[in-house]
Amino acid sequence: MSGESLENDPPTLDRSKNGITLRGVQSPIGAKPGSAKKLTIKNFRAKPTLPENYEKETWRKLQEAVSAIHRSSFIRYSLEELYKAVENLCSHKIAKNLYSQLKEVCESHIKQQVHIFDDDVDGEAFLRRLDQLWQDHCQQTIMIRCIFLVLDRTYVLQNSMLPSLWDLGLDLFRENVLNLEHVRDRSLGGLLQLIKRERHGDTINRTLLRNLLSMFSDLQIYHSLFEKRFLIETEQMYAEEGRAKKNELEVHDYLLHTEKRIAEERDLCLSCMDSSTLPLLITRVEEQLIAEHTESLLSKGFSYLVVENRTDDLKRFYKLLSAVKDGTKSLCAHFNKHVKNVASSIVLDTAADNSMVQDLLDLKEKLDHIVEICFEKDPKFVESLREAFESSVNRRQNKPAELIAKYVDQKMKSGNKEATESELDRTLDRIMLLFRFIHGKDIFEAFYKKDLAKRLLVGKSASVDAEKSMLSKLKQECGGMFTSKLEGMFKDMSHSKELLSQYRQHQANKPDMESCGVEMTVNILTMGYWPTYTPLEVRLPTYMVQLQESFRKFYLSKHSGRKLTFQSTLGHCVLKSKFKNGNKELQVSLFQTLVLLLFNEGDSFSFPEISDATAISEAELKRTLQSLACGKARVLTKVPKGKDVAVTDRFEFNASFKHKLIRIKINQIQLKETVEENVDTTERVFQDRQYQIDAAIVRIMKMRKTLSHQLLMSELYKQLKFPLKPTDIKKRIESLIDRDYMERDTDNTTQYHYVA
Amino acid sequence: MSKIDDTRKGDTSNEQLFTLKKWNAVAVWSWDVECDTCAICRVQVMDACLRCQADNKQDGCVVVWGECNHSFHNCCMSLWVEQNNRCPLCQKEWVIQGTGK
Repeated sequence: MSGESLENDPPTLDRSKNGITLRGVQSPIGAKPGSAKKLTIKNFRAKPTLPENYEKETWRKLQEAVSAIHRSSFIRYSLEELYKAVENLCSHKIAKNLYSQLKEVCESHIKQQVHIFDDDVDGEAFLRRLDQLWQDHCQQTIMIRCIFLVLDRTYVLQNSMLPSLWDLGLDLFRENVLNLEHVRDRSLGGLLQLIKRERHGDTINRTLLRNLLSMFSDLQIYHSLFEKRFLIETEQMYAEEGRAKKNELEVHDYLLHTEKRIAEERDLCLSCMDSSTLPLLITRVEEQLIAEHTESLLSKGFSYLVVENRTDDLKRFYKLLSAVKDGTKSLCAHFNKHVKNVASSIVLDTAADNSMVQDLLDLKEKLDHIVEICFEKDPKFVESLREAFESSVNRRQNKPAELIAKYVDQKMKSGNKEATESELDRTLDRIMLLFRFIHGKDIFEAFYKKDLAKRLLVGKSASVDAEKSMLSKLKQECGGMFTSKLEGMFKDMSHSKELLSQYRQHQANKPDMESCGVEMTVNILTMGYWPTYTPLEVRLPTYMVQLQESFRKFYLSKHSGRKLTFQSTLGHCVLKSKFKNGNKELQVSLFQTLVLLLFNEGDSFSFPEISDATAISEAELKRTLQSLACGKARVLTKVPKGKDVAVTDRFEFNASFKHKLIRIKINQIQLKETVEENVDTTERVFQDRQYQIDAAIVRIMKMRKTLSHQLLMSELYKQLKFPLKPTDIKKRIESLIDRDYMERDTDNTTQYHYVA
Repeated sequence: MSKIDDTRKGDTSNEQLFTLKKWNAVAVWSWDVECDTCAICRVQVMDACLRCQADNKQDGCVVVWGECNHSFHNCCMSLWVEQNNRCPLCQKEWVIQGTGK
């Protein structure tokens, strides 16, 4: 094929080039495989022998070379020649002799060298000599090994008992140099002295240290000879240092010092020693500087560091203690104790109730930060912090829950004026953290509800969104049962709005029912959702009664089976008023309204006259009159003048009333809420709790029919979510037995039966 | 403004010192019942009955009055009459007078 194609090709171009290929292709065809001659290789009949004195001569040469190496002088023979010589000797089974002769030469050389240690030089100079000797020895051994490589590879390998040439060198060096007592002791002493100086802050020759220690390693005496002594010395030194520095330094400086020490030791160890020493060394240092003094360090300086919020120092403390056994456990215990101390003192300080919640929030924030930043969010610390807070907050019954509720009220009232929506939400979240710790959550609910009612009815709530968000947080935390009534309050508000617009339409359709120019709004509250208000009967002007009744009629037409009670205490009004200095609009309570409307009929009334006309109870009336005649905006004048209202006082219209604003809000004088209302609210919660205990006992007994006292108690603790005293429960059980809900077993007094 | 009908005053209203312009009243509603507690489930009638509380249907839980003037939760009573069509309190035959709304 290729021939054909060639003939077709242009001859000039490719002939010469392809001619080779042509031949190459053709030649195998021409060659005959059968015609090649067979080649057989046979052994020598006689073994080749060495010349008579070859061994002696060669060894002389080799010995001369070895000596030259030992002297570090010029070798007369080429290395290749020497190598060949060794190879020859080995192949003629004289290796054994060669090995022992070589060993002898080397040994005697080393023995001669030892004299350099005889004279008394100082530590470092001694070490330098030793180092020099070692370096030389290594170089020489390497050189010798190169020459005797064949010996090493054949004879030594086949005899597993024999050390290789390199190992032989090490053995000889160890036996003849470091096994000499004075050399060993002085070298070890010198090294330790060197390290000691480094630890005292001197700059030392680290290369020397590193070389000698690696020599120790190579000679396999590092662990047995050096490391053991080194660790003992380290321990002693740091034991001493720990005791001294602990008293001398402040805790945070001590920690700093320790950290520095550990870093130094690590650095020294990494650069000069065997890496296996590092963990042992660091453990020793940590034991002596930290573990030994954990308790005293913690009790001496921990609280201070937390109080001062020294996050860097605390971080260091945690890091160092986490290295020693049970270190963080002690730290955590101290942390817990500290938190309990501080938080309890905040909670129990009755003089500082006003700032309790804020203080607790600040403390919590600070400690959370510390746990996160310094203690790496260690779950142990998170839990410990939680536990400490919970126990501290509940050290005082009820009050913290009440104050938290009031704190929320403040935030909700001032709301957006002080903070943006998201800031407020964050604040609420933080409050929830505190709320979570409270055991008596019903107390919180009662106070929260009271404040919420005020906010809703007076329209003081700053943000509906915030209210809703708080509600959903509570719901998330305590479940729907807890918030269902609070949600009901919001529903009432929106229902009232709808109903009112229906009422307006209804009125518009009936022109005979005049609105008398009064814009009336009514909030309808569902009883049970809202705090209980004691209704106070007062005498309203006829037209107001008509308005009220017209609404009542409308309402009952929409809802059958209901009754409606107007709450005079919660009503408030806007009054237009005429003074000499201009017209004003007064925002006042219903009681204030009733009193002021009276002055349409005369300029002066005595206390009993007002009391008769309005039928407001004496205490309420006193407060009302005080707000009108003794407050900031005095639309009435009291005779005689004075701050407090007496039954004998008279009141006159203050025609010359002046105020820079047109719309004036006259606040009711607040009863010292804490005294009566507060006790009342708490009292009510306690009563509710009794009902709840009763209900729970009956529920459990109804299900179990017969139950021992112990089991009943444990079931109760499971079901009820407020703090319970066994004595209280016993009282409730007695009461239920009296009321025939259950009875005691006649034989076994600790057994109860349900009475259907 | 002049339409205010105040019996305690004889003057013409234009010269009044104080005139009521706005009145925000607050009223509380409750079921018009003789006994606060539902005799069947032992929960106050103002609250939803236990069943509805558990099912979170507080809004729909209304009160029912019988001719005997006794009242119960409507849900409780409707279960009761399936077994015994008498008022649990007075044993008179149960006839609904009305339900709350």
